[in-house]
Amino acid sequence: MRLSRRDLRHVFTRLLFVQATLHRKGMQNVGVLHALDAAAPRLTRHPESVLARHTDHFNTNPNAAPIVVGGVLRIEEDGTQAALAALPRFKQAACSALAAMGDVLVVGGLKPLALTLAVVSAIYSFFAGLVAIVVLYNAALLGGRAWGLRFGYERGWGVVEAFTGPRVQRVVMLARSLAALAGGVLVGVIARRSFSEGTDHLAIAAAATAGAWLAMKRGVNVGRIAIVLFPLVIVIAMLVK
Amino acid sequence: MSDILLIAILAGLLAIDDRAGWQTLLGEPVFVAVPIGALLGTLDEALKVGVVLQLAWLSIGAARGTRRPNTVVGGVVGAGAASLVLSRGGDPRESIVIAAGVLMGLVAAEVGAMVARATGELRERWLGGFRLPEMPPHPYADASRKLAFTVIASALWVGLVDFVVVLLLLPLAARVTAMCGARLGADAAAGAVWWLVAVSAIGLAAIVRAFSTRVLVRFLALGVIATIAIGWLR
Repeated sequence: MRLSRRDLRHVFTRLLFVQATLHRKGMQNVGVLHALDAAAPRLTRHPESVLARHTDHFNTNPNAAPIVVGGVLRIEEDGTQAALAALPRFKQAACSALAAMGDVLVVGGLKPLALTLAVVSAIYSFFAGLVAIVVLYNAALLGGRAWGLRFGYERGWGVVEAFTGPRVQRVVMLARSLAALAGGVLVGVIARRSFSEGTDHLAIAAAATAGAWLAMKRGVNVGRIAIVLFPLVIVIAMLVK
Repeated sequence: MSDILLIAILAGLLAIDDRAGWQTLLGEPVFVAVPIGALLGTLDEALKVGVVLQLAWLSIGAARGTRRPNTVVGGVVGAGAASLVLSRGGDPRESIVIAAGVLMGLVAAEVGAMVARATGELRERWLGGFRLPEMPPHPYADASRKLAFTVIASALWVGLVDFVVVLLLLPLAARVTAMCGARLGADAAAGAVWWLVAVSAIGLAAIVRAFSTRVLVRFLALGVIATIAIGWLR
């Protein structure tokens, strides 16, 4: 039986919490089973067989999980023996292709874009900007997930091909470029403010940026260095002043 | 006490969003600071703490599974400690209180991460042993119920841990912040400002590091130049 919009909505809602049961052994498998459980009784008279096929390891970017789950639902719906036998291969191929894409797009593009703009808004106490960023970010994220589930459900096996093409790379590059531009704006704002506070502030900002960059390059936890530096800087300031 | 309890409940809810939900961004320090500042009437000061902590944790492109400090606990404790002190006394050495709040946030994030790792092991063991009930003899509804229970309980566990951590750490952090504000003089205030500038620079380093590829560096430079040029023209 073909799934209705209502069934897909239930799957979508449950997929919002796919990270809730993240664990090393099966990663997101319990969350995915929970989402499939919303549709399995509509797909077949033996929903337990659907769940039994998906108890294995499942790992992808949480924002890309709806695409894979949509594809799984389509293959389950088709229900041919050959298609069902190839399900593990489909999940493996789709999960790996989409994990990399999701990480670069969301973690490396959208999220830094939103956070750098949020910091700039907060620096200028522009609260409407903060609200707009949260609303737009979540609209993009939730809209993307809802679209992904529908797309996966329409395409089935086709999703793997769709997400390895050059068009996706262009979208990823656009998000990364916008994030870099917003990052540049933030660097400019902080540099300007440091300059207006005095040359000592500008010098400290430049030296600390270079130091933090070097520390990050060597994999050092910069936050811990900042904790240790607090008493040291206070003592130096008291001696200098 | 009621303020601390409210803030701890907020931390629990934000932890669920950040680690069990779809990450609305509300758990990030810059956003956490808004409700805390609004609750205690110190919106601008809380936001200053939030901005510095956000810059300290602006880890761009960190892969899934990377061990990060617990930024929800850090953001809540940092903004909460500074706001609690400033809402009570209106300390004239605001920069010291804000710097102490940021320090408490950084420390709380490390402690929160350690606690989350330790308690996460228990959760790992429980989830690792997850099995669907045998069907038959059990009806399908048993599997549905077990799945729903596992997801809800696991999400609540994440929230509960951060709630307890914040409930314990926030009063302590507020006391240390108040002590810094009371004991350190005007000379130390200059040092606090320097330290805040240095911590903010961590964010700049993260941005430069993430976007210094051959293609993206052009966009980064464009952003810097445009911002500085617009600033001068105004």
